[in-house]
Amino acid sequence: MLPRAVTGVGVTSIVGVGWPAFVEALRAPQPLTATGPRALTTIDLAKYPNARAFEVPDFDAARTLGPKGLRTLDRLTKLAVVAARLGLAEAALKRDNAFVALSPERVGVVCSNAYGSLEAITELNRVAKLEDPRYINPAVFPNTVANSASGYVSIWENLRALNVAISDGNCGALDAVACADIHLAQGRADAILVGGAEAMHEALFLAFSLLGTLDHPDHVRQVGHLSLGEGAAFLVVEPQRIARARGARVLGEIVGYGTSFEAPEEGSTLIGPSGDALGRAVLNALGDAKLDPSDVDVVCASLSGLHRADEAERAALERVFGSDGVCVAAPKLVLGETLGAGGAFGMAAALAWLEGARPATVVSGHAPDEIDTVVVTSLGFYGNASAVVLRRPQG
Amino acid sequence: MTADDPTRSPPSPAAPARVLVTGLGVVSSIGLGRRAFFEALAAGKSGISRVESFDTTRIGRDYGGEVKAFHARDHLTAAETRRMGRCSAMALAAARMAVEDAHIRPSHLGGPRTSVVLGTTMGEADVLGDIDRAWIARGVSAVRRAHLPKYGSTLLPIHLARAFGTEGAVIALPAACAAGNYAIGFGADLIRQGRADVVLAGATEILQELQYSGFARLAAMAQQRCQPFDLNRQGLIVGEGAAVLVLESEAHAVRRGATACAEVGGYGLTCDGYHITRPHPEAVGSIEAMRQAITRSGVTPEAIDFVNAHGTGTRANDAAEAKVMHDVFGGRRVPISSMKSLIGHCMGAASAIEAVGCVFTLETGVFPPTAGYETPDPECDLDVVANAARTAPGGVANIVLNNSLAFGGYNAVACFARPGVLPEPPTLEVL
Repeated sequence: MLPRAVTGVGVTSIVGVGWPAFVEALRAPQPLTATGPRALTTIDLAKYPNARAFEVPDFDAARTLGPKGLRTLDRLTKLAVVAARLGLAEAALKRDNAFVALSPERVGVVCSNAYGSLEAITELNRVAKLEDPRYINPAVFPNTVANSASGYVSIWENLRALNVAISDGNCGALDAVACADIHLAQGRADAILVGGAEAMHEALFLAFSLLGTLDHPDHVRQVGHLSLGEGAAFLVVEPQRIARARGARVLGEIVGYGTSFEAPEEGSTLIGPSGDALGRAVLNALGDAKLDPSDVDVVCASLSGLHRADEAERAALERVFGSDGVCVAAPKLVLGETLGAGGAFGMAAALAWLEGARPATVVSGHAPDEIDTVVVTSLGFYGNASAVVLRRPQG
Repeated sequence: MTADDPTRSPPSPAAPARVLVTGLGVVSSIGLGRRAFFEALAAGKSGISRVESFDTTRIGRDYGGEVKAFHARDHLTAAETRRMGRCSAMALAAARMAVEDAHIRPSHLGGPRTSVVLGTTMGEADVLGDIDRAWIARGVSAVRRAHLPKYGSTLLPIHLARAFGTEGAVIALPAACAAGNYAIGFGADLIRQGRADVVLAGATEILQELQYSGFARLAAMAQQRCQPFDLNRQGLIVGEGAAVLVLESEAHAVRRGATACAEVGGYGLTCDGYHITRPHPEAVGSIEAMRQAITRSGVTPEAIDFVNAHGTGTRANDAAEAKVMHDVFGGRRVPISSMKSLIGHCMGAASAIEAVGCVFTLETGVFPPTAGYETPDPECDLDVVANAARTAPGGVANIVLNNSLAFGGYNAVACFARPGVLPEPPTLEVL
């Protein structure tokens, strides 16, 4: 791929809302395994007193979006729209929510999300089951389609170029980069909001809990479980010449993408994170960027604490970078596992490091004083894996 | 494993590749597979019938385009049937038909140069529905753990990748009712950009209680008949199904001696950014999407022989689509038809199944009919292919458009052509 400029980032994360707050939080990261239980609004702590799930604290979309029109929006959409609005302002495309650069017809969205609006779907299933299918709220029904949060970003932000929703589990936000790159190459937009969103919900928490993947207070510090988080992150991605022409500040450049898939063995269960796929994805991304493994300063890994997946990823990174190799950092230990948004948070963390923040939660190796090149990885639960290469802006 | 790993993508070619359709598979309420489906389209057969897969007594509607002849076990292994829901199963069945239709050997599909791109609206919504209903009615202990990992839409392409040994990108694009065109368009882009040689591209959707109830609640659903563009149209009929196309770069197809059934032209992609369910009153996004599809195929509106309509049968959609046709084609009355009158609105799968309908028209020179077209609507002053299939002038249709205008203001319009009739693909501007 041609290098793409990242000119702004917007986040709604469990460590803060907005790019400055996010970078600040990453300067002094607090691993979630060392964090006590927090108040939750999406999960009834009376029912699950030991729930260790992490929300964007005190999230109030009205602070960014104003009070009007929020009533029928679900949490997923609010997290996404707030992140999008903050990102567009950060990139100086908008001021006070009005375009000051480029035009609405030339700005698009590629948004990853893994599981759709469980809030809307579960609510309507509840009404249909316990009451009557004729009572389901027609204003909520459109939120059940998997692209609704992505669609609302275009509606709220008045973005009328393409809008693509992508659902590739944990890899979606990195695959969104490939998708956006292709659409930019075809001249379908001058800038694209690229990222992902995932919202905490009781059904999500229960599913991961029932599958035995979640941290539990009885073994808070025990390795082997992930901390479920939520949030949204969008990068404003532009062709270099457009960013240059409008005099935009460039936080970093996306210079390579790779992906791969390795089927779990026949007859095995569905879940089978593949280290081989991850290794190939990293090499494909480096090949795409015309870089070698030795050019990489830090790997922003998708290590989440989930033992089986982490083992596969660590082994793959060792095969690619050598055993005494590269610095590996795991921001999910601070930001939580945010699934469809995970890769977007990985890229946001990488950009924070390129801006001078020290890498959060280094799990092996040492970060060099100056970080120029970062590989971000995403390992899917089902055999897919993707990687993206970011570097400090050249010249 | 080194940086010289042969699996890494080659650099993008200077001249973009032509993208050919070399095989197709379809699971629909009017037939499974190419032959049955084509015969049904030519005959104007209806697949709309009383819904049997869930209880409709309290919903107030009971007709749908249910695919009653589809049994996963006829197309899948026992292990595959166990590990996936109906939505994935229909997609995998359609993919197997497409691969057979393309006469493509497994050795041409395995490895890093084949990708899978599938669209949907709600994916395995039934899996989630079952989980939700057990949980809501009987509590957490009633939830079957083994069911949980089957839900995510990401699995739709992954099941296919697993079945065919592909190692390239596996992408799920939930783009509401435009998902099929999104998947086919993006699949073609992967080939044009040199990121794949072969892409299995399509979409899949199941008829399920929540979506069915929702459309009934939106008062968008007709009783028994979907009558696109008719004055007395009552709304849409929800359907289901899946379609997968084998897309191949021309070079790859030539290398293996494949016969192309169509070429994928350009496609248009816009977003209304207006309302989550209502089309934009001026339809600017839809008009722009159609214009993009035409210009990106290197042709002019005069070259378009037929439009496979979005044509849902709702008042708002059909009137908006008629306006779009007038804006794009001016005074020229381009024949238009909506397959949704035969199979219902298959949601995410709709434009993939309709893409197969486009291939039907290109191969046979026949436009499929719009059933139930009785009274012309002055608001939809169009040349509708009414009630019976129509042979194209001269028996040949060279270039057709596939419209999809969806929830979320998603507009995607794809162009398909008989192989060899489109001009050389325009060289991409280097951006």
